[in-house]
Order: sequence, then C-alpha cells, then structure tokens
Amino acid sequence: MEQNAMYEGQPLHHPKGWWGRYVFSQDHKVIALQYICVALAIGLTGMFLSLLMRMQLGFPGLFESISAGNYYQDVTMHGMIMVIYLLTALFLGGFGNYLIPLMLGSRDMAFPFVNMLSFWVYFLSVIILVCSFFVESGPTGAGWTLYPPQSILEGTPGADGAGILLMLGSLAVFIIAFTMGGLNYITTVLQSRAKGMSMMRMPLIIWCLFLATFLGLLAFPALLVGAIMLIFDRVLETSFFMPEIFKGGEVLDYGGGSPVLFQHLFWFFGHPEVYIIALPAFGIISELISCHARKNIFGYNMMVWALIAIAGIAFIVWAHHMYVAGMNPYLGFFFATTTLIIAVPTAIKVYNWVITLWNANIKMTVPMLYCLAFLITFLIGGLTGLFLGNVAVDVPLSDTYFVVGHFHMVMAVSPVLALYGGLVHWYPSVTGRMLDDRLGKIHFWITFVGTYLIYFPMHYIGFLGVPRRYYSNEQYDFIPQSVNDLNQFITVCALIVGAAQFIFLYNLIVSAYRGEEAGSNPWGACTLEWQALESPPGHGNWGDQLPVVYRWPYDYGLPGATADFVPQNVPDEQIT
Amino acid sequence: MDNTVNNEERFMGLTHGQVFVYTLMTVISILFLFITNAYLFRMNFEDWRSVPVPSLLWVNTGSLVLASVGMAWAKSGAKKTNLQTIKVGLAVGGLFAVIFVWGQIWAWQELTTLGFFLTINPANTFFYLITALHALHVLGGVVAWFYVTLKTFKQDASILKPESIGLLGAYWHYMLLVWVMLFGLLLTT
Amino acid sequence: MAFVIVATIIVIGTVLWNAVTPWWFTPLASNWGSLDQTIIISLWVTGVAFVLVSGFIIYCVIKFPYREGHKAEYEPENTKLEFWLTVITTVGVVVLLAPGLIAWNDYVALPDEGIEVEGVGQQWVWSYRFPGEDGIYGNTSGRLFSSKNTFGLDPNDPNSLDDILIRSAEVHLPINENVIMQLRSKDVLHDFYIPQFRAKMDLVPGQHTNLWFEPTLLGTYEVACAEYCGTGHYAMRGLITVDTKEDFQTWLAQQPTFAQTLNEGVEGSGKQIAQTLGCVACHSDNGVNGIGPTWKDSFGSVRELASGEIVTIDEAYIKESVVNPAAKIASGYAPIMPAYATLSDEELDAITDYIKTLSN
Repeated sequence: MEQNAMYEGQPLHHPKGWWGRYVFSQDHKVIALQYICVALAIGLTGMFLSLLMRMQLGFPGLFESISAGNYYQDVTMHGMIMVIYLLTALFLGGFGNYLIPLMLGSRDMAFPFVNMLSFWVYFLSVIILVCSFFVESGPTGAGWTLYPPQSILEGTPGADGAGILLMLGSLAVFIIAFTMGGLNYITTVLQSRAKGMSMMRMPLIIWCLFLATFLGLLAFPALLVGAIMLIFDRVLETSFFMPEIFKGGEVLDYGGGSPVLFQHLFWFFGHPEVYIIALPAFGIISELISCHARKNIFGYNMMVWALIAIAGIAFIVWAHHMYVAGMNPYLGFFFATTTLIIAVPTAIKVYNWVITLWNANIKMTVPMLYCLAFLITFLIGGLTGLFLGNVAVDVPLSDTYFVVGHFHMVMAVSPVLALYGGLVHWYPSVTGRMLDDRLGKIHFWITFVGTYLIYFPMHYIGFLGVPRRYYSNEQYDFIPQSVNDLNQFITVCALIVGAAQFIFLYNLIVSAYRGEEAGSNPWGACTLEWQALESPPGHGNWGDQLPVVYRWPYDYGLPGATADFVPQNVPDEQIT
Repeated sequence: MDNTVNNEERFMGLTHGQVFVYTLMTVISILFLFITNAYLFRMNFEDWRSVPVPSLLWVNTGSLVLASVGMAWAKSGAKKTNLQTIKVGLAVGGLFAVIFVWGQIWAWQELTTLGFFLTINPANTFFYLITALHALHVLGGVVAWFYVTLKTFKQDASILKPESIGLLGAYWHYMLLVWVMLFGLLLTT
Repeated sequence: MAFVIVATIIVIGTVLWNAVTPWWFTPLASNWGSLDQTIIISLWVTGVAFVLVSGFIIYCVIKFPYREGHKAEYEPENTKLEFWLTVITTVGVVVLLAPGLIAWNDYVALPDEGIEVEGVGQQWVWSYRFPGEDGIYGNTSGRLFSSKNTFGLDPNDPNSLDDILIRSAEVHLPINENVIMQLRSKDVLHDFYIPQFRAKMDLVPGQHTNLWFEPTLLGTYEVACAEYCGTGHYAMRGLITVDTKEDFQTWLAQQPTFAQTLNEGVEGSGKQIAQTLGCVACHSDNGVNGIGPTWKDSFGSVRELASGEIVTIDEAYIKESVVNPAAKIASGYAPIMPAYATLSDEELDAITDYIKTLSN
C-alpha cells in the first residue's frame, strides 16, 4: 500500500529502525515536532532571561549578581533567542513543516532529506548559541542588534572573548538551516499541490508561510554578509564597520569603516524578519477565525493581494529603524512614506478578519479567544507603529520605552497569542486528542490580560522619555519615582505570566496521554489536513489515494448544504 | 513529466529540482549582490588602494570555463543515454572545479608574498572575502557533484534522466557567471 | 461573555488611561512643539481607529454567538466595501503623515543663524566645544587624541586655539536662540537626547551629525544617552543649563580655550583628567558604588579582590590598576575596565593625588 506510493518517480522514504524513525526522520510531521520542541525549550530560556531583566528593573539591587554587564547579556540573548530561535523557527520550522504538505494534499516535502538536515543544522545553531553562556566572557551583551563598534569592543560584555563570535557563528549556521528549509517550502508550495488546488485555492496560512519564506530567503543573506564582515572586523581587525576609535587613552588600530553600513545591512534583514514572524501569525488567525466562527474568510482575493503587497513593501521600509542613526536625513521622507503605506494592506487584513465575524456563528472556543485577543493586541501594536514610522514623531520616541512597548505588542504578544491559538487548534491533528479546555482558558486569560498590563503602560513612560536599554533609572531627575513603582508592578505581572506558561506546557504534555479523543476533524474544518484518514495522519499522509480538490478552503456556511462546512476534497455532487 | 500520475499541480511546468536550484541561485545572487554593494560603498573612502589582479586569475577563469564545458558534455551524454560520455563529462566538470579552487588559493598566496595582506587595506580584505565566498560556493557544488557522480559510477538507473546532471550543470554555469561578474568588478575597480 | 466584559474594560480603560496617566510628555522647553502636536493628532486618529475596530469586534461577539442549526452568512467578497475601507485608511495615513513630514522638514534643515556648539561623546561621558571668537571649529584628528588633548585638536590649526573646551558633562546655553549642534563620537555610537527639548540625534564615530533646537524655558535639563554604547550606557548623563543671554556669556567667559589648556600643567589636574578620560562614568566621588568602586574614602582602605586576596589601596595599587586593570579586579565587579596604558607618570601622579583628596 504505502510502499507503492510514488513521489516524483521516487518511492516515499521509509525509515529504518528507531533512529531513522524518530531521530533522523525524514517525515515532515516528525521534523515539525522536533523544531517545536527545540524552539519551545530555547524559548523558555529566553523567557527566563527576561524575568532576570525584570527583577533588576522592578527590584534593583535585590539580586546583587545581576550586574550591569549581566543585565545587558540578558537583554541581548533574550532578544535574539525570541526573535530568531523561537519565533522564526517555531512558525516556519514548526507550523510550516507540519502544515504545508498536509494542507496541500502532498505526502511530504519536496526534499525530505534536506528537510531533515535543516532541522539538525538548526539544532546545531542552538547548541552554538547555548555554548556562549559557558565561555569565559559569557554571552554577548551588545543588544540583539549587535551594532558595531561597541559589539566587538571592550566595554561591552562578550565582545573581547568568544561571546560575540559564538553568536555570529550561530546566526550563520541558522541562516544555512533556514535556507535549506526555505528552499523546501518554496518548492513544495509551487510544485506539490494536489490536483485541483490552484494557488488561489490554497489556505491563507500557506500563502503566508510561502511569502514569509520568500522574505527570509531574500533577507537573511544581508544578515549573513553583515555577520561575516563583523567577524572579520573582530578577528582579523579589518575595518568594514570600524572608524577611527579613541578608547582607553589610545587610538585603536581601526579606521575608515562605517558603522551605519552595518545598520543598513542589519535592518535590510531586520525589517523583513518581523514580517517573517508576523505573516505566519496572520495565517494562523485567518484559518482559526473562519473555522471557529463557522464562516468563510472575508475577501480571500484581497487577503492574498494584501499579503503580496506587504511582502513587497517590506523590503523598502528598513531605514525607519535608522531615522536618527546618522544616515542622510532626507532619506527619512522616503522611508516614512513607504512605512505608512505598508499600514494600508495590513489594515485591510485586519478589516477582513473582523468582517469575517459579522453575521457569523461564533464559537467561543479557546482558539477563537486567542484570535480575538490577537486582534485587539495587534491593533495596539500596529497603530503604535504609525507613531514610530512617522519620522518626526520618531525623534522624541526612538530608543525609549515606547519602542519597547510597540515591538513587544506586535511581535511578542500578538504573534504569540496566535501561536498558542494555533497549537490548541492543531493539537488534535498531531496527537489525536484535545487539550484540556479549562486549563486552556485559565492560561489564555492570564496571558492575554497579563501581557496587556505589562506592555501597554510602557508606551506612556516612553512619552515621558524613559530610555530603553537602561540598567537603572536612578540618576535621572526627570524620571519620577512612579516609574519605579510601575516597573515593580510590571515585574510582578511578568512573573505571574511567566509562571502561567507552565500551565500550557503541562496541558501540552498531559493531554497527549489523557486528553479527550478527538476523532479526525473535531473542529469541523474544511482544510485538507483534517481530511486525512486518521488523526494523527500516518506516514505518507493519505494512504493509497492522494486527495483531489474541488473548492476553496472556506466553504463554511455554504448555502444548500446541510452541514455548516464542506471540506475542500468534497466534489459538488457529494454535498449532502 | 506526466502531471496526472503524481496528482500534482506544477508551477510553470518546472520540476521539483529545477525550482529548488533556481531558488537557491536567487538566494546566492542576493548574497553576492550585498557583498558587491558593500564593496562599491567602501570603495569611495579615501583609504582604498586597489589590488593588482594576479594574472593567475585568468587561468583560473579558464579552468572554470572548462568545468562548465565538461558539465555540458555530461548533460548531452545523459540526453543520449551514453554512459561513457556522462562519466567523462562529470569527471572533467568536477576536476576543473577543484583545480579552480586550488588556483584561487595559489593566487592568494601570490598576493600575500607580494605584501597584500588581508588586514592592511579594505580593498585587500574585500578581494579575499569575495573570492573566498565564491570558492566556498563552488566547493558546495562539488559536494553535490560527489553525490551525483557516485550514483553514476554505480550505474544507478535513475540518474540516466538528464535532470540531475542538467541541474548540476546549471549550477556550474551559474558559478561561472557569478565569477565573471566578480572578476569584472575586481578588474575594473 | 467573559470576553465581552474583559475586552470592553480593556478598550474603555485604554482610552480613559490617556486622561489619567501620570506619565506624559515632560514640560516642553524648546521650539519642537510641532512634534508634540503630531503625537496628539496620531493619538486621536489611532484612538478612533482602535475604538471603532475593537468595538465592532465586541459587537459581533455579542450579536453572533454560535447557535446549533444556524449557519453563518456566506459572503466571500464585497469589493465595494473593501474599496471604501482602503480609501478611508489611506486618508487616515495621509492625515498622520502630512504634519509629520512637515515637522521633519523643519527638523533636518539647520538654521542659518544661531549659537554653534559641538557635543562630543565617549564611553561614558559627554563633553562640549564652542568654536570660539572666530566662529570656526578647529580641525580634529584621531591621531592627535591623547590624555592631554582629549578633543584631538590640531594645535597648528589657527582656528582651534580659540575653541572653548567644556571638559565636563555640564554645559550652558542661552535661551531663545537657535542652538546648532555638531555631534561627534570618539569611540562608539551614542545619542544626544534631551527629553524636554524633544530632540535627539545619534553620534557616529567617523562622521559628524547635526541637531538643532531653540531652548524656550530657563532651567536645567538632563541629557540621556539614547543609543546603546556598552555597559555604562545608562550612566552617561549630561546637563544643559538654559541661561539668560547675559548669564550665558558670563559662564562662557570662564571656560578655558584650547590654547589655555595647552599651557596647563599636569600637576593638580587629576580631577580634570578623570573627567576627560571618562573615569567618572564608573567611579563616583560621592561614596556610591557604580560600575566601578567609588573613589571616596578609598585611599588607604582595605579591599578584597576577586581572587580572594586582601590588599590595601596605596599609590602602587592605583597606578597599576589604571594601566593594567586586569591585574587586580575588585571582588563583586565585572572585569571590564579598559587599560589606560599610555598615561605618563605625571598624569598617574595627578590622578593618585586626586583620589587621595577624596579620602581622609
């Protein structure tokens, strides 16, 4: 049966033995789980680092071991881990690997061997990163943006030891892993769709994953170039980014380089990176909101065009991170305009999600709760972006807590809410069981309200002018005591929210054994991953017969059908 | 390829391997585009002193051309299912790619004996960095070449499709094209 | 219905918060009120958008709950609606962008006339320079930097001799006159930010950047570095005192020119050296330990080192710790002090003498 399943004229890879089945598996579902486990593990580390930071900010001096140097190491590693090693890996490596072949009606990714390699290279990049915690200099404390000259000079933790080198090395290895995975996703989406699944019948999350991959493949090389040149500057004492520097009473051996060049390279990567994270989150919301509101997604065509517009414009907004960085200030006019233009397709997506709720049949399941929370927090995060993108307004607000509040809302809070919603929604597909509903709701409420309380006030101390990346505010008269009180409050919220994440973790693990059995399509979804013969789908996904697609993925509430949904692989003649 | 057998929609009638390799070429192009960009940016600064291009690089270019010729030969052999031609073509393709990299290393040694050390001048650093990055990507191609050649010499039937050899050849030609552009950049600046 | 209640509280709370928040702009002390106004406009536009969209979401949740047997409306598209929504959003974007770009146009165009002052940043202290009577800044060069010439000025350049050097983090500026700042960094990226002036600009080593503002309120304002510059970033505080024109001139006349500093002896200049080389960023004179141990009451005291060894702080210890800090790191402190290996014996004596004066 499965042995005869052909794939591009080559038989589907069948694992031999325990190592081949569970460790070096070439099955996309196993690889997805491997990505998810490693990403969650390193993400918990990142969360722990943020709690250390919050202890310093909320209760300065309580932990003497959190020195200024340690604080900046925590800040840096927290940021880098969360953005790259957790979010990018989890959305693309985790959700991407699991969903793309299943939702397209394919047996596996186009190149399963390369897919397997991509996980292990990602794992290697995480190991290299973790090593930086154990070297003498400790991990780098240069800020996740790693700006030279400070990132490779004494005076910044990890700069004169192995810390910065291990970070840059780890990033380079990650980029190789991402490229391998990314090539797979592009090929699979373009080439392995089931019969009848045109591009405009793909679920929106696939469009999102596809475009996010496209963004990554074109953006990561800029980071790679910057990282290589920074390594050269540090190890070989070249001067790509290093101008003349007077430090420690003497002129250093550098000269002629441009720190601003690094920033251009970094942010040419950095801005698309935030869309690499946001787009899959958008995709999850599109799938969840239509399924749990039992209504077709509104405006599918515009949603696709908006995604394409966002992906394209994402490449020409990068210098809004550099308005006051010392680049030609007249560039500010251009980048402010493109940045505010990108708000339009993004707003269209928000409208379409919201209109999907109109005249719908909304089930307040845990995934739906996450969708609604996403919408509210993404509104805050996106709207505050309009402040920062508007170049003149960025002047008083840049490098203050306004920025910290903005990027956490739009990258940490809303995508993570989408992530949780997605994990709850697809858990039955992966395990065949449902997550515990009560625990899910408890975790949801603590996380949603808690993160709102943490990040919303930050915008206001940003208006006040409290700078970011400050170990302590003691010395500044313009910062009143009430800010310290707020910091204490935020820290307490952060500790509670942090603890609550273990509720979710517990739920994930225990429900795999004791959760209610789910059946193959517990949510009544139209997309193909739920139409496999069994949940979880077996190796090869579809048994003897690959599915054939007859309709778009959002026939919820189709007039003329008895049921309130019609899956993609049901032809018109068979609608009951 | 018959689409209906595998029940799949195809993008522009391309095969999986073609999409993979063409996308990979796009990504690598972006990388070299950025390096070139940084090069042109840095070139404008006062302390830039151009590196004299060793004439050995012309010989190396010739090696890379021969490597491409070899791969094209292998591809024509694959189309005519002439195993002998395939083997010869692959051997020539791989051999001259390795000779190219070896020649590049030789050129670096020539430059350092003349005193053009890596860190003395940004132009020097860029020269080594650009040629090294390109050579690394050629070596990456050689890794794929090993896999394909091993299968050919075991006379694996699946390799007698022109596809894998054609794609390997396309990558070789691409590496030659990138080299011509980089070489041109180094010669004219 | 828990969601409806919580979401309503959040939306109303978010809007009301703007009226009751204790954290708001600092009182404006410069001409950049246009930036405040653009923020207010943005708050209104985004606030309306937030309330409308969130309100709509809450309304839908109330009005369209799941009912068994009921089906949702099937509405794949409504091109007309999408078109109008796009238009309204574009209008909203233009309403935000227009005042912003106008304000930016003012911000980047340096005025023709005004007081010129240079802000110099280094890890982790500020210093300043006025161009002096000739109104021209003297040339500087990295090769000329030394502990005696921390501005790197060229003594052979006639324009530099009358430059007025402010070798501390405090500077005075006159009220109601344009201040045109040239910004320069000696080592890494910094950012000159005065919250009350609403102005900031990065300092980039290897190039000049510019900033301008017009102080409109007498008072003393803090400068906070706003671009991460290493472990002491949070401690890089400066002070701007806005004086009447007369008071400003009086103050300026008391500051040394470059020519005068060239004639200063090294002896007795320990405090000045500590300021210009940045020691004060980490070592306070008031008993409070910071990135580094305080100098107050340190001379003659007993100290435990990271190695466990106990030492008494004497002249030899101080001098060694300046040129080779890694040799004896104090317990509880990170080993991040740079080595000032090029100081002369006189300079080391001067520093030691100064530290002695801080102890009894």
